[in-house]
Amino acid sequence: MLDAKKVIVCRCEDVTLYDVEKAIDEGLTDLELLKRKLRIGMGPCQGSGCLLLVASVLARKKRVPVSGVPLPVSRPPITPVQLKFFAGGKSG
Amino acid sequence: MARRLIIVGAGVTGLMTAKFLVDRGFSDILVIDRKYPGSGGSFRCATGVRASFTSREHIKVMLRAVDLWPKLSKELGIKYSRDGYLWLLTRDRDVEFFREAVKFQNSLGVPTRLVTPEEVRGLAPTINTSSVVAAVYDPIAGKASCFDSVTNTLTHLLARGVEVKWGVEARKIAREGGGLVVETNIGSLRADSVLVAAGDGSRRLLETLGVDLPIRNLPKHALVTEAFRPVFKPLIIDWATSSYIVQLFNGNFYIGADIPEVYDTVAKVKLEFLRKAAKVWTSYFPWLREVYVLRYWTGYYDMTPDHHPVIGPVEGLEGVYVAAGFSGHGFMMSPAVGEALASYILGERPLVPEFERLSPGRFARGELIKEIAVFG
Repeated sequence: MLDAKKVIVCRCEDVTLYDVEKAIDEGLTDLELLKRKLRIGMGPCQGSGCLLLVASVLARKKRVPVSGVPLPVSRPPITPVQLKFFAGGKSG
Repeated sequence: MARRLIIVGAGVTGLMTAKFLVDRGFSDILVIDRKYPGSGGSFRCATGVRASFTSREHIKVMLRAVDLWPKLSKELGIKYSRDGYLWLLTRDRDVEFFREAVKFQNSLGVPTRLVTPEEVRGLAPTINTSSVVAAVYDPIAGKASCFDSVTNTLTHLLARGVEVKWGVEARKIAREGGGLVVETNIGSLRADSVLVAAGDGSRRLLETLGVDLPIRNLPKHALVTEAFRPVFKPLIIDWATSSYIVQLFNGNFYIGADIPEVYDTVAKVKLEFLRKAAKVWTSYFPWLREVYVLRYWTGYYDMTPDHHPVIGPVEGLEGVYVAAGFSGHGFMMSPAVGEALASYILGERPLVPEFERLSPGRFARGELIKEIAVFG
């Protein structure tokens, strides 16, 4: 049997399966709310490692297909970029 | 089945109002949101909290909020700390203006003070003060977690029988019989009272009731970086460029900066913002050049002509309440606004009398709020 407290679903922010299931049980039945509560998807990977995983947990608990779980919006930059690359140019 | 109250908008304003009502035993509330709780300004904002404004109304409302934040922090587990605000002044003429502002703020109980570049270096370790002439520090200002403010208030409400439904878009409000009906994508919802706290969607919704509020949405921009160990506490504003930086609780830096924008247009990401944000803050913190930007988003300030919110019962429309037009300060005001709206909805006058000056009817009466000067 999996010990949910030992299963890491978000490696950037060290979030466990137990944390996710507990938050869902408290009423945070939306990936956007789980993101703000647990910080999944807020690390350097911006969700590429964890969002689909947590979506599948949410789908299981809500008894809907994974395709029925909307994913949070992707925003720029598509990969982290250092500020020096923006600081060099002319500003408005 | 009509409820006592429908709140349109599950951001901090709507959720805090429900919280204060539940405290008074009023829980027959349905809160709806067209997307998800916090999806508007609440999850996008800089999370700063300050009472250092330049109108009596802003100061009195925010002094009450500054009093309530630590209490709510304790009760709901919302991260909050009085880490201060620091305005960096790089032009002599700005020092004179801020001297007046500080005098005004002190007279109303806000302990701001002018500080030297040396003190700035103490308050913001590693900062380069070569262009700083002087600065102003607000020691009772601070920051709160916008995430906790929504998620923890939400779960608190759900545990106490308040209904919250999202993915529900309010399209029209109308009078029906002795009450109100809100038409949505899931059908008609009936209630005795309705509070419109729907951020940038508030004006359009109130128009369906014949209420015309002078609120215009101004696109705004923000970015966050990767997280660092704590470097500096205050939210720092560069006055001359209208830019700011704050280190959030998790260690990420949040940077905002004003670029030319057009009211009531759709907010779009712009390279110009990234260039300005980077140029301003890497000048002050050269090590910031190496730091990675993780995410850049946009949002809106819902602006009124006097930069003050529209709060309270809508005159001539029994049971209709509004809380909108916060002009960029809705998050920090939310505890005091929630408390005031709960009072109004319970048929009482708000604890802080200055709220009555923020009524929706003030525009028609020509009673716009005056600031000693426009300030952030």
